[in-house]
Amino acid sequence: MAVIVKQVKLSWLDRTYFWPVFKGMVITFGHFLRNLFTSTPKRYTVQYPDMKRVMPEGYRGLHELKRHADGSIKCVACFMCAEACPARCITIRAEEFSDLNLTQGFEEKRPRVFKIDMLRCIYCGYCEEACPKDAIWLRKDYELSAYDRLSMQYGKWDLMNTYAEEDGKARITTDPKPAVCSQKASL
Amino acid sequence: MDTLSALLHLSPETFWMIVKILVVFAGPLTIAALLTWVERRGSAMIQDRIGPNRAAIFGFRLIGLPQIAADGIKAFLKEDLVPAEANKVLFWLAPLLAFIPAVLGMAVIPFGQSFESGGHTYHMSLLDPGNGMGMLFPMAIGAMAVYGVLVAAWSSNNKWSILGGMRASAQMVSDELSMSLAVIAIFMTAGAYDPHDLIQAQYGLWNVVPHFLGFLVFFTCMFAETNRLPFDFAEGESEIVAGFLTEYGSMKFALIYLSEYIHLVVASALIVTLYFGGWRVPFVANPGPWLSVASFLAKTLFFCWVFVWVRWTVPRFRYDQLMKMGWKVLLPLSLINFLFHAFLMFRRG
Amino acid sequence: MFLIFALITLVGALMTFSMRNLVMAGLSLVLCFIGVAGLFLLLANPVAAALQMVVYSGAIVVLVLFVIMLLASHEEEEPKRSRPIQRWGSVAAIIALGPGAVLLVKSSPFLASSQVAPPMEVMTLHRLGGLLFKEHLVAFEIAGLLLLAAMIAAVSLVKREL
Repeated sequence: MAVIVKQVKLSWLDRTYFWPVFKGMVITFGHFLRNLFTSTPKRYTVQYPDMKRVMPEGYRGLHELKRHADGSIKCVACFMCAEACPARCITIRAEEFSDLNLTQGFEEKRPRVFKIDMLRCIYCGYCEEACPKDAIWLRKDYELSAYDRLSMQYGKWDLMNTYAEEDGKARITTDPKPAVCSQKASL
Repeated sequence: MDTLSALLHLSPETFWMIVKILVVFAGPLTIAALLTWVERRGSAMIQDRIGPNRAAIFGFRLIGLPQIAADGIKAFLKEDLVPAEANKVLFWLAPLLAFIPAVLGMAVIPFGQSFESGGHTYHMSLLDPGNGMGMLFPMAIGAMAVYGVLVAAWSSNNKWSILGGMRASAQMVSDELSMSLAVIAIFMTAGAYDPHDLIQAQYGLWNVVPHFLGFLVFFTCMFAETNRLPFDFAEGESEIVAGFLTEYGSMKFALIYLSEYIHLVVASALIVTLYFGGWRVPFVANPGPWLSVASFLAKTLFFCWVFVWVRWTVPRFRYDQLMKMGWKVLLPLSLINFLFHAFLMFRRG
Repeated sequence: MFLIFALITLVGALMTFSMRNLVMAGLSLVLCFIGVAGLFLLLANPVAAALQMVVYSGAIVVLVLFVIMLLASHEEEEPKRSRPIQRWGSVAAIIALGPGAVLLVKSSPFLASSQVAPPMEVMTLHRLGGLLFKEHLVAFEIAGLLLLAAMIAAVSLVKREL
């Protein structure tokens, strides 16, 4: 595509060169002074390990598997997220959950294994969109690193606890016993 | 002065010589080391960044000053690489060739008012006035400085380096002439070329007022002489990797780098001596030794800062633009300045 | 002091024509010029020393080196064939003419007169200017004219079509 380059006519003052340089120096000195009298934490730079950037709404970071109030997992192992995933990083093994049926407020399936390979995940958020139960969320944690590949395989309990401290929830490592009088009955 | 030297069992002359040597050689070195910090933090502030502030001594960060020491230690501990195809002797010699002229540059510049004590007159410059060399000495030494760049460039046996060296030599030739003409105009009006006499002649009116055109030319040429940013073609990191420095690492690199900063200090001192009245203080006829040294230091540091300031304001020129500017703008300007002052002197008779 | 500077000059000069490498030869030339500048200083002529540094080692050799680098002759040229006759001839000439030159200098009347002369006054820019523009004005102007002619000739040679 041809582009017509606009020829800028410089005034004689600009062509002396010294005047524009002088103007530029005033600008840079303004910046210098402004920064000189601003304390370091208030400048633009986020000094990372000491200060952390607040991520905007809608940021897609580390996943969380949501749970009900009684601590049981929301996921029903429908495989929708695994199907939607373009990176094929989600592995689910389903298991039978309970003898009680759906009308009594219980799902009949739940994941026995729910694994996300964080090295393959591209944080596109399709799993979140695909989920019919709103059970998987991509949230704001972006500090994902490990010393080996195995540590980047997040299992079911890792994923359920990723934001436990932040939200003030208890860390859980076992599925709670199903109880009839759970709030899920109102479904 | 006499009591001090008697305490050290030295004659006053020897004692004063030692003091002067310390000041003239250690002073620019110290300022140059501090300038690396000023440059990094100053540029950060100009560009709304923070700059190096992590280096710490015993947990005290001291606004990043330990970074200087950290850099020095790092430069010493790094592996010293010499390219296989380089000219070994010259490759080792080049940092020295850059360093020695840089350090020698301060030798004639008076850094304070001469004073009398115990019947002796003590001059605050390494070479006493009346040595016959005067301001020609820094010019001669400055002319030698380009060899550090040239030898470094050629001995590296690297195409980027040779390009950088060629640029440096061509640039030097095109700048030296207009710079000399600007200085000669000052020699002419002052009727002297010894820096002490030049400062004496600037009593009441600093040279920057009558010689404003010459000052602009000289100032611009000083940027080229010190390889600073609007004209740092020899390095030109966005075009020719790092120019003449491409193959240099560790302490050899640090030495060349340091000598560039010493050049900057010497250039500032030259500007102050030639155009801003050296150690003179405004509205004070006889400032005395301490005040005069402080005044000289303040002015020199200010110009060091201006060098840093301009570097982070103005982008690099194109190579042909520099050539055009050197021969078609700066040379006529300094000629006009020269002829103007010659005409004025002729009218006054 | 004289011996040191004379040695620097001589070594520089010898290296200049014995180096196979052009850039090295140019740098030795600088060494030679520095030695000459030192000799000027010993002759109580700091102005000439400074000008020697500024003009010769500063500008001219830099230009020469620039051209050498531009031509990119970084390889050391091997001599096409050794020239024994010339080599031995030059040695013979040095042996034959050297003592003669030394004798000539030693017996010159100037040397005898300079030994009784009072120590020289230090040359300053003022004296140099006076000498150039008062005593040797004609020679100075002729030199200027020659240089101007050379400059015009160089321009006309380079710019074929004006």
